[in-house]
Formats: sequence, structure tokens, C-alpha cells
Amino acid sequence: MLGLFSTLDLAARSLQVQQQGVEVAGHNLANVNNPAYARQRLNIVAAPSIGTSIGIQGTGAEAAGIQRLRDLLVDKQVANETSVSGSLNAQQSALQYAESNLGQQIDRHASGAEGAAAAEGVGGENGITQRLSELFNAFQSLSTDPTSLTERQVLLTKAQNLAAQFNETGTRLSNVRTFLNDSLQTDVGNANGLIADIAKLNDQIVMTETGGFGQANDLRDQLQSKLESLAKLVKIDTVANTNGSVNVSIAGAGIVSGSQVVDTLQAFDNGGGQFLVRTATGQATLTLTGGSLEGTITARDGALATLQTSLDTLAGQLISEVNTLHSAGFSLTGSSNANFFNGANAATISVNSALTADPSLIQASAVNGATGDNTVVLQLAQLANKKIAALGNQTFSGSFAGSVAALGQSLASVNSQIVNQGLVEDMLKRQRDSVSGVSLDEEMTNLTKFQQAFQASARLITTVDEMLQEVVALKR
Amino acid sequence: MRVTANTFPTQLLGQLNDLAERQNKLQEQASTGQRVITPDDDPSAMRRVLDLQTEQQSITQFSSNIARHQEMAQTTFSALRNIQKVADRAQEITTLADGLKSPQELATYAAEVTQLIKQAAQIANTQDRGSYIFAGTKPDQPAFVTATDASGNITSVTYQGNQSLPVSEIAEGQTITAQVVGGNNTGTGSRGLFADSRAGADLFNHLIALQNDLASGNTAAIQSTDSANLSKDSDNVLFHIGTNGAVQERLNASKSLLDTRKQNIETLVSNEADADLATTLTRLSQVQTAYKAAIQSGALVMNQSLLDYLH
Repeated sequence: MLGLFSTLDLAARSLQVQQQGVEVAGHNLANVNNPAYARQRLNIVAAPSIGTSIGIQGTGAEAAGIQRLRDLLVDKQVANETSVSGSLNAQQSALQYAESNLGQQIDRHASGAEGAAAAEGVGGENGITQRLSELFNAFQSLSTDPTSLTERQVLLTKAQNLAAQFNETGTRLSNVRTFLNDSLQTDVGNANGLIADIAKLNDQIVMTETGGFGQANDLRDQLQSKLESLAKLVKIDTVANTNGSVNVSIAGAGIVSGSQVVDTLQAFDNGGGQFLVRTATGQATLTLTGGSLEGTITARDGALATLQTSLDTLAGQLISEVNTLHSAGFSLTGSSNANFFNGANAATISVNSALTADPSLIQASAVNGATGDNTVVLQLAQLANKKIAALGNQTFSGSFAGSVAALGQSLASVNSQIVNQGLVEDMLKRQRDSVSGVSLDEEMTNLTKFQQAFQASARLITTVDEMLQEVVALKR
Repeated sequence: MRVTANTFPTQLLGQLNDLAERQNKLQEQASTGQRVITPDDDPSAMRRVLDLQTEQQSITQFSSNIARHQEMAQTTFSALRNIQKVADRAQEITTLADGLKSPQELATYAAEVTQLIKQAAQIANTQDRGSYIFAGTKPDQPAFVTATDASGNITSVTYQGNQSLPVSEIAEGQTITAQVVGGNNTGTGSRGLFADSRAGADLFNHLIALQNDLASGNTAAIQSTDSANLSKDSDNVLFHIGTNGAVQERLNASKSLLDTRKQNIETLVSNEADADLATTLTRLSQVQTAYKAAIQSGALVMNQSLLDYLH
């Protein structure tokens, strides 16, 4: 038999347990909108039993601990998927910048200077395709009337428009590259901040848990949230230690070990504006496999670089093919050997200023003295249909259309990958939510439960108190 | 599966976002009338449309080249007709100037032939847009220069042009010229109009010979040599008139081919890039209905909670 005083103790302990139950329910309720939070549950076990004359008797309940409900496997998967979607999102925004800076669209209702084209019904925008066509058409026009100064003037204007369009597009694409490099550096700074936070949290968790009070639930939740934020920027590999801290490595290089930051990330110029990521102290270049850092690098060195290169090759080939034909010709004044275009690539292409100053210097004839001969300018016009070996055996317009389509294809496939990735990520997050999420209904029911139990325990105290009073009143 | 307090709002937001994105895209398609606007909408269609646009632009240019050739052909044709009249009149004079005419009449004929030569020389130096059309590829100087003697008789008409002609394209790889060379005595290349060694034509020299024969009263030479020579000149002009007609036919045929191709391209581009308005608007109204349903049902569910019933 326990005795009345022991029963009073039992009731008092029960009151405490129910109160703790209410506190845990309240903690869960308060954190219902905290996305990093995993719900906690009070584990109530029966208090140790004692042997009595009538058998083993229980001594009430006690709180064994506060358990955090979290599925570690789903957490790991969510971190991985976050890396993948971070990478895809970074690629998508980089490619979208590139596409809008390229400025090639279809507009069936174009008006203004291109109104004639729109009136034809096909519609064109002021892109490079349009300008290339205009240049070759101007050569054609000049071939029908080689001595006309008006036609020459028109040709020079069209050539200048094309050169200006090349310059502008080349510059814009370079700006996109610079912008991507800047955002790379910003992200590396953010990643280093998160790395420092993770190390600090590791430290706090270890210190809190060595006190022997059980797991530091909320700190561990925060740690997981920081790990996921870091995973969004760069793919990480984690190893959980027995003392509660987590070791982090990136692409094989150790970054965080316990409470120590072993190494940080650094963005550096690998030459030619190609910024890569390496470890700060080890100076080893990292081959990243996920996260927005990897996505930015992939888009910049993949589709964007291909586009820039093909644009520069197109401009270079145009310059050399036109100049080869033009310099062999003779102008109205009999001069020869002048170039039509100056420059070497998209950003530097320009029309020879001597020609713009004096259109009669355009070398249209193949025969010195025969100003009506149009052999050279006819060959220049026929360049429109010539298949250029350096452009993959395509015509100039065909090559540019191919580049535009290639960029569009890259962006379209990233877009569809993002849709798929979104579905997977949603599903995983819902799974995690079903294990760790706080349900208001459940917590409200728990509150009611613990409140009733509290009332019952209080009633027990009152009853035992009355019984004690009876006992004390026995001796007067 | 256990559904928690935040599962539902997150899901609702995701659905609304999807529907809003689809609505936006369909509205853009409906207002521009296009299915493909940016390269990532349909990369291969974009490629085809760009190629078709380039072809369309060059067809427009070929049409304009054809118009230029037609202008040249018509200018040439009027000149040819006038030369034919000159040659015909000269032949008439050879028939009229027989042994029965008096020296004064012959002298009158000689004066007329002088005028005919000057007229032919004027026609030979016809210009089109400031270029001499019968000078080959040297259009910046007159095709023929005349030399007269003290008494106003023409002694020679010399050709200053060359035997090449500028050609330009009326279709990819197809070149044509409507111009005619003034004189070609090399024996190869395009046939000359006023002088051609293969056809035996040399209008100016034959007219000058006629002028001189009339002035000296050599009716025998007129009847035999001059008459035969001038008929060769007439035949040569007729040849060129026939060729000019053929060239104009070819230009017209090419023009109608180009017009047909232009219409076909318009259809092709429309197939690739245009949106079917009926389908687009139907899908737009479907998505709008779904959006409304999502918002309304979401509002219903979000408002319910156990808290309403506990006290």
C-alpha cells in the first residue's frame, strides 16, 4: 500500500505531467506557422512500481521526455531535391535573361519601319535575322543598278544597321555574363554565411545536449533548416555525428566538422571571365553537382557561351566573306583593296568609315574602268545562299536561326524539367508535413485532454486531502 | 495521409499559381493571335518561321529586281522600235534611189540619211536613270560618239562601250539581263545591236556608206551593196526585238511564280506560328472557370476549424 501521503505525491506528480502536456501542446500551437518546425510530443510513461504486500503496485505517471517527430530519410531527400530545383531555377533565370537580351521574337502584327514586312503578312522583329536579310537585299538592289549613288547610300545604311545590331546584342550578352558572375559571388557570400551559422548551431547543440537533458529539439530543427538553405545554393553531403552535430562536405571537400568551419567557399576568375568556385584555404576548384551555384555556372558556360560563340563566329565569317569579295572589286573611282567591314566579332563589327563618307568607293565592279559591271556586288548578294563551312555548312541566316532555336530548346527543356521537379518536391514536402506538421485540430484536442486530466488529478488531491483530514480528526 | 494545418494553404497556393500562369499564357496567345512568340515556346517552329521569313524577304527583293528589269526592257524596246523605223526608212531610200533619180533628188536623200544617222546616234545614246543603256558595262559615258566633217556630213560613229552585260538575280541562282550590247565585233558573247560581226550588221557604217554613195551618185552600189547590208541590219534589229519580247515573257512568268510562292509562305508561317483563336478562347474560359472554382472552394475549406466549436 502506498499510503495517503504517497498518494498525494502521486497526484501532485500527475498534475505536473498534465501541465507539461499542456505546455508541449502550447509550444506546438505557437509554432504552427514555423516552416522549419517539427511537432513535439510528450512521452508519458508509468512511474516505477514498487513491491507491496498485495503485489507490484504502480506509482502514477511521469514524463519520460519530449520527442521530436521527424523522418530523417525524407529530410535527406528534401535536401537533395532542393539542390536540384535550386540548380534548375538558376539555369532558367539565366537562360531567360539571355533570350530576352537576344531579342528575337515573332510578331505577326509588326508595324513601324517593318510595316512593309507586316503588310506582307509574315511579320518580323528588329532582330538580326531581319537585318541580315536587309543587307543581302541591299546588295541585290545595287546589282540591278551598280552606278546609282542612292542605292549605294541605302546599302551603307543597311550595313550600319546590321553592325549596330550585332554590337548591341554582343554587348548585351556580355552584360548577362557579367551579371551571372556577380550573382555567383553574392551566392558564395550567402553560402559562407550559412556555413558559419551551421557551425555555430552544431556548437550549441553539442553544449546543450551534453547537459544530459535529452535532444535539443528546436536547435536541431534550426540546423536542418540551415542545411536546406545551403543545399539550395550548393549540393552538400552530410554525416550526422553521435553528439548531435552534423559534418558537411561539398564536392568531397570538408567544410564543417563539428563546431569548426574547416573551409569556406570562394569565387575566383579562372581566366576570361569564367568564374568558378573553390575552397578558400585549400584553393581546390570544386566540381559542383547541384544547387544554384552549379546552375548558374552550367547556364553561363553552356547555352550562353555557345550563343555568344556562335554570334561571334557568324559576325567573323560575315566580315571575312564580304571583305574577300569586296576588296577584289573596283569602285566608281577605280580604287580597290578596301574592306567593307572592319572588326573581328559581334561587339566590334563596323562599316569601313571611308565608304560611309563616300559611297562611290563601294567596290561593285570586277573590271577596272567598267563602272557598270556588277559581278562583285552580285557575288556579295549571292552570299545569302552560300553554305559556309565554318558555320556548319549553313547560310548566314540559317546559322543564326539555328542558334536562336538552340537557345529556345535549352530553355524549353529546363522549363519542363522544372515542372517535373516541382511535382516531386511538392510530394516530398507533403510527406514530411504529414509526419512533422502541426495539426491545429490535434493540438486543440490534446489541450482539452490534458485539461480534463489536470482537473481529474486536482480532484484526486481534494479527495486525498479530505481523507487525511478524517484521519487527523481521529485523535482529538 | 495525415493532413496538417499548413498542407492545405500550401496546396491551394500551388494550384492557384498554376492556374494563373496558364491563364496568363492563354491570354497572351489570344491577344497576339500567335501560338509561338518567343523561341522557347516551340524552338523548331521558331527555326522554321525564321527561315521562311528570310525566304519571304528575298522574294520581295526578287520582285523588285524583276520590276527594275521590266523597266529596262521597256526602255530598250522603245529604243528598238525607233531604230527599226530608221532602218526601214533607210531601206526604203535604197529602193527609191535608183538610176532614174536626178542628182538633186539624190542629194536630198543624202541629207535625209545624214539626219537618220544623227537620229540613230541619238537613240543609241538612250539613258535610263542616268546610265547609257547600250554601252555594256561602261554606262557612265555615251555608247557612241559621232565625228562630222566640215560640211556637216557624219564621217564615223564609234562604239565606246564594251561587250559585257550586267546580270542580276530574279530567283535564287537565276540571273537575267534586259540590256543589249551596242556593238560586238569579237565574234563571241552577246549579239550587238548596232554592229555584230556574226550577223554581218553594222548599221552606222552602212548608213554612212549610203550617205556617201547618195552624195556621189553611185546608184549601182546603193542598189547592190548598201541595200543588202541594210537588210542585214534590219534582220539584226528584228532579232533583238524578238529577244526583248522573250525576256519580258520570262520576267512576267517569274513574277507570277514569286507571287504564288509568297502566298504559300504566308500559309506556311500561319500554320506554324498562329494560334487557333477558337481553341485558345475555349481553353481560356475553361481555365478561368477552374480558377474561380479553386478560389471559392479554397475559401470554404480554409474557414473551418475546430476552434469554432470549442469553448
